[in-house]
Amino acid sequence: MSQCSPNALCFGDGLPGAGVPCHAEVNPAGLVLDLGEASAETIPFSSFSIDAGGFDHDHLVLKWQARSGSRTLYLKDPHLIRAFRQAAPPELTAHVERTAQQVRRARHGRRTILLVALGSLVGLILLLWLGSDTLVQMAVSRIPVEWEQPIGEAARSQFLAGQTVVKEGPAVAAVQEITKRLADAAPGNPYKFEVTVVRSDVVNAFALPGGYVVVFTGLLKKAESPEEVAGVLAHELNHVLLRHGLERIVKTAGLVAVVTIVVGDQQGLVGLAKRLGVELLTLKFGREQETQADLQGLQLLHRAKIAPDGMIHFFERLSESDKLQVEILSTHPMSAARADRLKAEAASLSRQTPEPFSFEWSAVQAGL
Amino acid sequence: MVRVELAAGETVKAESGAMVACSPTVDVESKMEGGFLGALSRRMLSGEKFFFQTLRATRGAGEVLLAPTVPGDIVILELDGVNEYLVQKDGFLAGADSVKIESKMQSLSRGLLGGEGFFILRMSGTGTLVLNSFGAIHKVELKPDQEYIVDNSHLVAWTATTSYNIEKASAGWIASFTSGEGLVCRFRGPGVVYIQSRNPGGFGNWIRQFIPVSE
Repeated sequence: MSQCSPNALCFGDGLPGAGVPCHAEVNPAGLVLDLGEASAETIPFSSFSIDAGGFDHDHLVLKWQARSGSRTLYLKDPHLIRAFRQAAPPELTAHVERTAQQVRRARHGRRTILLVALGSLVGLILLLWLGSDTLVQMAVSRIPVEWEQPIGEAARSQFLAGQTVVKEGPAVAAVQEITKRLADAAPGNPYKFEVTVVRSDVVNAFALPGGYVVVFTGLLKKAESPEEVAGVLAHELNHVLLRHGLERIVKTAGLVAVVTIVVGDQQGLVGLAKRLGVELLTLKFGREQETQADLQGLQLLHRAKIAPDGMIHFFERLSESDKLQVEILSTHPMSAARADRLKAEAASLSRQTPEPFSFEWSAVQAGL
Repeated sequence: MVRVELAAGETVKAESGAMVACSPTVDVESKMEGGFLGALSRRMLSGEKFFFQTLRATRGAGEVLLAPTVPGDIVILELDGVNEYLVQKDGFLAGADSVKIESKMQSLSRGLLGGEGFFILRMSGTGTLVLNSFGAIHKVELKPDQEYIVDNSHLVAWTATTSYNIEKASAGWIASFTSGEGLVCRFRGPGVVYIQSRNPGGFGNWIRQFIPVSE
């Protein structure tokens, strides 16, 4: 090995494939190349053909015919490249400059691509962040109602797998009647609401896309009147009618897809389908969606000729009593503002005489 | 398994979790190579682990045994300050402290189609570098302007003097995918390309059929 540290890689016939580290130096006659084995040889400038190479296109590639075969030298050291450019004779300089120009252009092009990619990435994130609601709504409005059913069906069967379903009895009949009254009152309702009553002390009810409603017996036990149950159901049905669940899914799916494209993780897409199912069960709607469902729920109650204050009473009563076990409050906290908004909205509705339900509430509760 | 002998005070950096055994004189430290942001970008962008472990022979000379997570071969390369290697994201096992590691962005088409992601690791500097592969490792030496075609999921590392392009395996798109090769990389010498005999994605697909599906 020579005394000087290597600053170039030499390839060619009879040399190892990985290249031989060597030391190159520029002098007025040409390039002095020390391959370490014998005395350094000077290659005149006139024998070189010049190119740019390497991963970043920042290597100067020199090719020439040596006695022992063709040789290719990769120069990386910027000082060495500059020295070479300065020392090279005019007829070669033109070519060197042209190559340098190419390198600069390639680097510039890459920087532009990087900037454009980065810019579009930031733009995409901003777009998703700010314009996501509009985009999501546009996407959701294009999804036909029939597509929702398999999604909801899958989520429901996944959920019901570990639960005891109450198949018949006064409770099921009562919940079905309430749901039917509400569904019939909803204008232009494309869904066929299907109610499942699940035996559980959890005080909650939820509705899945496609119109699958699940009510827990805990909720029926805690409710003092059918109007209270109707209030909760009106709220949940409106999540379906306003397609909030679907919006949520589209939002998550979109986000995951973007992340997947950026990070390039193929496994992400496989897990996506599963994640969406889980997402459905742990659906937490945004505040805006809750308010929307509240207000539309009140109007739905009104249209179905059910006393609209049941919903308000129910939530208020629950938040005063023990907060444990009342799962519905964790996703639907009853804030003072929410109660006030509901009361104001209820007061603005025209007065009407509510129509009673055909069942006796005390009998329904006794049958639980 | 690699055995690294350290003189007193010497350090070696390794992929986190790579240490199998070491002398009592060696301390294991974790370090975010390139600072927090550098580590974050490496984690986020190249999928390489956030922390490297640094093994330091604090209390005198000692030795360290290192092994990769995946079953496969190990190749030891010597960096002399001139040569550089580009390594796909899971290929790094260990390196001397003087080896510089950085995330490098590939061009758009290489990143999207190459199957290696947008970011790869560039190893430069001086010292010993240890790479690991999935399955056996095979070294291909390319003469200047010699071309060689490699299935993109079988790549481990290649020298910086080697350029490459992504192309489809057969003349037509349909034949490319039905032949099971999809996209390939056409390398152009001079330089060295290290390839692995197994394909992690293919192995994953194969093993997936034996995993019982819950539910």
